[in-house]
Amino acid sequence: MKGLIAKGLLAAGALALTTGLAVADPYEKYRGTTIVVSWPALSHFKKAEELVAEFTEETGIEVEIDALQYLKLRDRQLLEMSKDEGEYDVVSWVVMWKGEYVSKGLLTPLSQFYTSGSLVDPSYDLNDVADAYLQNGGVVGGTKGYMPGKSGAMYGVPFGAETSILAYRKDIFEEQGLEVPKTYDELRDVMAKLHEAGIPALTSRGKTGHQVTAAWLLHLAPLGGKIFDENWNPVINSPEAVEAAQVLREVAQTGPKGIPTFGFGEAAAAFLQGEAAMHLDTLKIAAMSRDPKLSKIDGKVGYALHPVGSRCGSETGGFAAGIPANAPNKEAAFLFLQYITSKKGDQRMVELGGDPVRISTLQNNADKFDEYSVVAEQLPCADPDWRPLIPEWNELNIDVLGQALTEVITTDKPIQPIMDAANEKARAIMEREGYYVWQ
Amino acid sequence: MSEISQKPRFEPGAFTPYAFIMPAIVVMMGGLLYPVVMAFYLSFYDWEIGRKLADAPFVSFDHFVRMVADPQVWEVLWVTIRFGFWTITIEMTLGVALALLLEKPIRGASIFRTIFILPLMVSPVVVGLIWRYLFDARIGWINYYLGVWFGIEPQVWLGDPQLAFFAIVFTDIWQWTPFIFIIVIAGLQALPSEVVEASTIDGANWYQQIFLVKLPMIKSILVIALLMRLIDVFRGLEVMLIMTGGGPGRSTELLSLHIYNRAFDTQQLGYASAISVLLIAIVFGISTVILTMANPMKSKSDV
Amino acid sequence: MNDGFVRQLWHYLALIFLALLALAPIWVMIATSFKDDVLVQDGKPLWFFFAPTLENYQYIVTRGKFDRYLTNSVIVGAASTAITLLLGGFCAYALARTDFRGRTLMANSTLLVRMVPPAVLAVPAFAFVTFSGVKSDLAVLTFFYTALNLPFAIWLLFGFYKQIPVELEEAAIVDGATSLQVFFRVLLPLMKSGYAVAAIFTFRIAWNEFILALLLTGRTTRTLPVGAAGFITDTGVEWGRIMAMGTLIVIPPLLFTFFAARQIIAGMTAGAVKG
Repeated sequence: MKGLIAKGLLAAGALALTTGLAVADPYEKYRGTTIVVSWPALSHFKKAEELVAEFTEETGIEVEIDALQYLKLRDRQLLEMSKDEGEYDVVSWVVMWKGEYVSKGLLTPLSQFYTSGSLVDPSYDLNDVADAYLQNGGVVGGTKGYMPGKSGAMYGVPFGAETSILAYRKDIFEEQGLEVPKTYDELRDVMAKLHEAGIPALTSRGKTGHQVTAAWLLHLAPLGGKIFDENWNPVINSPEAVEAAQVLREVAQTGPKGIPTFGFGEAAAAFLQGEAAMHLDTLKIAAMSRDPKLSKIDGKVGYALHPVGSRCGSETGGFAAGIPANAPNKEAAFLFLQYITSKKGDQRMVELGGDPVRISTLQNNADKFDEYSVVAEQLPCADPDWRPLIPEWNELNIDVLGQALTEVITTDKPIQPIMDAANEKARAIMEREGYYVWQ
Repeated sequence: MSEISQKPRFEPGAFTPYAFIMPAIVVMMGGLLYPVVMAFYLSFYDWEIGRKLADAPFVSFDHFVRMVADPQVWEVLWVTIRFGFWTITIEMTLGVALALLLEKPIRGASIFRTIFILPLMVSPVVVGLIWRYLFDARIGWINYYLGVWFGIEPQVWLGDPQLAFFAIVFTDIWQWTPFIFIIVIAGLQALPSEVVEASTIDGANWYQQIFLVKLPMIKSILVIALLMRLIDVFRGLEVMLIMTGGGPGRSTELLSLHIYNRAFDTQQLGYASAISVLLIAIVFGISTVILTMANPMKSKSDV
Repeated sequence: MNDGFVRQLWHYLALIFLALLALAPIWVMIATSFKDDVLVQDGKPLWFFFAPTLENYQYIVTRGKFDRYLTNSVIVGAASTAITLLLGGFCAYALARTDFRGRTLMANSTLLVRMVPPAVLAVPAFAFVTFSGVKSDLAVLTFFYTALNLPFAIWLLFGFYKQIPVELEEAAIVDGATSLQVFFRVLLPLMKSGYAVAAIFTFRIAWNEFILALLLTGRTTRTLPVGAAGFITDTGVEWGRIMAMGTLIVIPPLLFTFFAARQIIAGMTAGAVKG
């Protein structure tokens, strides 16, 4: 290996000497290759198309993007990755899928590229990538098998990663004489006051299934709740979990009309169209609010930390990207990943209206964008065990919680019995899947 | 037609009819029967997307046991029955009433008939998209007109269980009432005019004429139209998938959509297959009723 | 006389009202496809008088991969229609003309499989694609559409063949024609309208179908309905573009309807009225 690198260096040196200027082009070998990228149809990724075009121009590697609604991505990717030869060279996953992808053996460990001298850009600086993002999105291992930690291996790099922050309308808060909420009590108070003043308070997702559960999880972690105790007993009827559901109901009652139909896009649109005073979800809202095509409220938005309940705990979500085990052009795919998450690529994403993944980028642009300092402060609170990424989570997420929480936000029934019933269902599922045989 | 004269033609090779029939049979076996059998087979396994089927654990009748006790399955079955009841009742009533009202042949009838079949020709995905837009809480036209004409507050149509159910029923009525209308009007116009005239001479008034003469005479058409719609209720899912995805809750999740959601949303392919078996049983039950009532091939074959 | 006139007027008014109800939603789609995002998001219904724009169409044609989706839809639609007509025609002909063992069973099961719900096909079809290693999504899709359409096509064509007098064929056979020659030379020309009806229905299913297409096609093989649903994005539904896509998808069925309404009605009522 060492010899190879040495030879390569020598060759490169010789080339540099003979041409007198540039070093060898690491992309030369892959010029004309076409790689296919599967990623979501989110704003950050739409902005990234520009960066992709620059990549092609610079490297000669053609890229075709297959953008899908993010909840539809997984089926498509799983299908492609379970074929003998897949179509995708790069796949971008929601962090909660990484455990499944890895346990099914569908991804390529990135270590094999890092040992290849001809591929790795020496100026890349992996340590500069925000650790919370890298660990949550790209590393799989640990005692629970879906978390970072001991025995973890790296399968992806964060791109479009996120945590949750509070975005609020500075003008409305000023007009109403409101303080920016720091705790959940204050948040609920502000929601009530805004509602009284006839202003829809906090926008939220609420569509049955994944979306409404995601909205509830945002409140569950800071309020001190969990899905399971240490022995995999579901505790979604705990006082904390019921309180989170109560908060969600209040959000639906005081927020913009239509929350039970909102996915991420609709919830964000309500805020960006000026129809809600607050947005408590991914930091992606900040860049979106600056996009004149999406937003009517540019310049009116302030940012604050995700309010604290009994602890600080913000969302661990967003995306990371990696290379399928059956990708036809793995090396070109690696070069692509490296390019878009390099220091230069990260900076370009900021300029294009996307979100950075590097600490240095956050620091360098802190003066320009209000939310960057908030994000840097929020990141240590990002809870890596924000949701249990076990295979059963699908069913719990969509069939159990997704249904129960719809009942919470569309009816006035007492919450405790709803969550009790959900807990029973969750327990039955875990039992069916054989979780309690060791007890 | 004389039976005898048909036979000699294929005399040289008795296999000729089979040769004509086999290709179609093979395709139908592969494309329809094999999946049905496969659904049975998969329902005994716990298979996930992204794993090899060979690695999927055999779970025997577990999925079926679970299904019988699964309130969600019965819930969506109930939604499907309610959906079927409302759509079919309203479509039949409206379609038949309109056909009776407008049966008299008039100039330009063919233009109207052309217009009436348009909703039937539109792709279900497009139908779902159009109505999702019209029912949208914020920019939907329905809210706008309700506000302007009746002073009704904007409703979150697709976000409230009752309203969403109403919305999908309404959409279905828009698309399928013309179907009933056209079938019934074709039946009415095929009635021998002497019978109707005779009843007029006998002094029957209009409702006697309708309920005692006309409707009984097209009874078989009505029953078949009804059964065909009933089957469609169990087959359809695209419009709801686009409009609501089945929500809020399971208020608009028909059985077919439930299978789809189970399989590809929560990735329980084996369990979804077990529910498919239930669906197959229901649909084949209804089909058998249709078959015994009217099989055009059978009735003419005299076999 | 006067009474009759008033009645006829009401008759027309009622029909016009119903026709407007049927057309309005389709028109809303077409109108919306010519609006820019500002007009759409404004939420005020504008039926006719607004500044139309072609930017939605421009987008889907230049950047929306419309050409690819269209090609796929046309390939799958044409191929499945052709195969369905060929195989279904043979089968219907044999069923209509001969008496052989298993004929009733065959007739019954044809009608039974016609009712198989697409949702039932979804998982097995998905499993098939995953494990068979078949490379061409479009071939698989064509195969399933053909299977889905065959029962109805057979049912329909059977009725048409029954209407053709057997004597015509007998005469040809006396002249020494083979079965195949009889089929192609004598029967086909008489069956034109029957095949036209079957073709319209078959093509329509293949053109409009969504669930199987969604599951079985990948990036390069998506059909138009799947492509249209792709405009439901994570940043909301792109209404103008999706309506433009919807309008383009609806064009062929609309054309069929205007030029062959009589045949379509014949096809729809074939099942019910003849029985």
